[in-house]
Amino acid sequence: MSFKVDFGGISRRGFEMKLNYGLGSRSRRVIQDTWVVAAEAEMDDGLSRSCWANMPSELLREVLVRIEASESSWPLRKSVVACAGVCRSWREIVKEIVRTPEGSGKLTFPVSVKQPGPRDSLLQCYIKRNRATQTYHLYLSESQALADDGKFLLAAHKCRRPTHTDYTISLNAGVQFFGTKFTVCDGLPPHAGAKMTKSRSTRLVGSKQVSPRVPAGNYPVAHISYELNVLGSRGPRRMHCVMDAIPVSAIEPGGVAPTQIEFPLSNIDSFPTLPFFRSRSNRMEKILSSPLDGHRDRPLVLENKAPRWHEQLQCWCLNFHGRVTVASVKNFQLVASLENGQARSEHEKVILQFGKVGKDVFTMDYRYPISAFQAFAICLSSFDTKIARE
Amino acid sequence: MATTTTETKMLTLCTSDKQQFQIEETIALQAVTIRNMVEDECASNVIPLPNVNSKIMIQIIEYLKKHVDSSVSKEDMEKFDSAFVEKKLSEIFDIILAANYLNIKNLLDICCQRVADVMKNKSPEWVRRTFNIVNDFTAEEEAKIRKEHEWAFEGVDED
Repeated sequence: MSFKVDFGGISRRGFEMKLNYGLGSRSRRVIQDTWVVAAEAEMDDGLSRSCWANMPSELLREVLVRIEASESSWPLRKSVVACAGVCRSWREIVKEIVRTPEGSGKLTFPVSVKQPGPRDSLLQCYIKRNRATQTYHLYLSESQALADDGKFLLAAHKCRRPTHTDYTISLNAGVQFFGTKFTVCDGLPPHAGAKMTKSRSTRLVGSKQVSPRVPAGNYPVAHISYELNVLGSRGPRRMHCVMDAIPVSAIEPGGVAPTQIEFPLSNIDSFPTLPFFRSRSNRMEKILSSPLDGHRDRPLVLENKAPRWHEQLQCWCLNFHGRVTVASVKNFQLVASLENGQARSEHEKVILQFGKVGKDVFTMDYRYPISAFQAFAICLSSFDTKIARE
Repeated sequence: MATTTTETKMLTLCTSDKQQFQIEETIALQAVTIRNMVEDECASNVIPLPNVNSKIMIQIIEYLKKHVDSSVSKEDMEKFDSAFVEKKLSEIFDIILAANYLNIKNLLDICCQRVADVMKNKSPEWVRRTFNIVNDFTAEEEAKIRKEHEWAFEGVDED
């Protein structure tokens, strides 16, 4: 890179100048207490410019810590990402300073969208739907407004096929979609989970087009089933969501959810292929009881909080604490299912809530142990109304 | 000529370029490194500071003199601090090194914050250019970082 050579030259020159300065002789001067600073403009600004590259790392860290702390919200937080792109030593320090969303409640690098959300609170996001282009954009809310100009997180493109629906999720908001493809299949064949995964993986053509080096690691992100109640489409749906990538132990005291630290090099834009299943069957028992025996390694199961019938309003109601304003059959709150065998307190915590606030705007709030990506995928699956109507 | 009622104890600091600065001890002792040297009595009247040159020492004394004055209000002190760091980055760099060596915490803080403020909203290219830092990423890493930036700057107006 000719670029590097140029800078090297400047750097060396700067160093020599510094030496000259240090040796420069000047008359001895005793500064009295009444001394007033005289601004000396003689110093060439190029004098110690090169020094920044040699700044002791503990001092550089002092500077970078301050940027991380003061630029805590988007869009200003991009400065933190910029600092991580200056050179290797800067990147190393910034990566050390920036904590995962789980502990900090902040999203910083693109990989944050694949990391579990904050433990203490719901991270507030919203989804904008574009019916004409069949795209969905996920943003991080940066104010209390229901749909402000938030930070873009992920985009999804929907492609409805005769037998299923493909979604491609990408970190790029542009028109090109080279991302993770996942498939939402209605009414999956009655096979056990493992077999389903295998049988469906052939459909996931996305990753091979993106990069030939992507390991063909097809693993499911979630199995979701929607069940109608006796009232049919007018009543609340029952959602049952098996988080294949998150063990039950993640929500036990001291438990940890798997956290990806870095995207594979050269492959930031494509997540591993993620088959994603949805069915309306009540065959979940089979999937659950299949190969996952040790209960701590069993996947976490989420289910929707049952709405209560509101006599006065004559509708089914859930308390979204002001985050949802339009009544819709699609609004839901997911909590850890009691079948996980957890304490009731865990069952009370809303892990994901999704609801309508405008014609094409939906809020999506999530927290540990699921990631923004997982939350988005679950919400996308619920956009298909076909099932609810059947 | 007015006579001072109490004798003011003076210290002489000797910088790397062999210049001597005579200042009140109370002013100098704000620098923890100097205080330790005085307390340990390992220094005579003249304290050698081989890591600080006279140009930087002048500025540090200006800072210390202001901060020793307890009559200055908090607001005025903050005003002084923010005016103080309005310097060329090359000078700030030298002051950071000196403040670190002399162990003057607040001075280190305001100078690091000044550098942090300069870097806000700037691209890595700008930072490299301004601070003369060599881009040592491989082409592969570079490509990944570019993607990262596209995401971070997505939907943000170019500055």
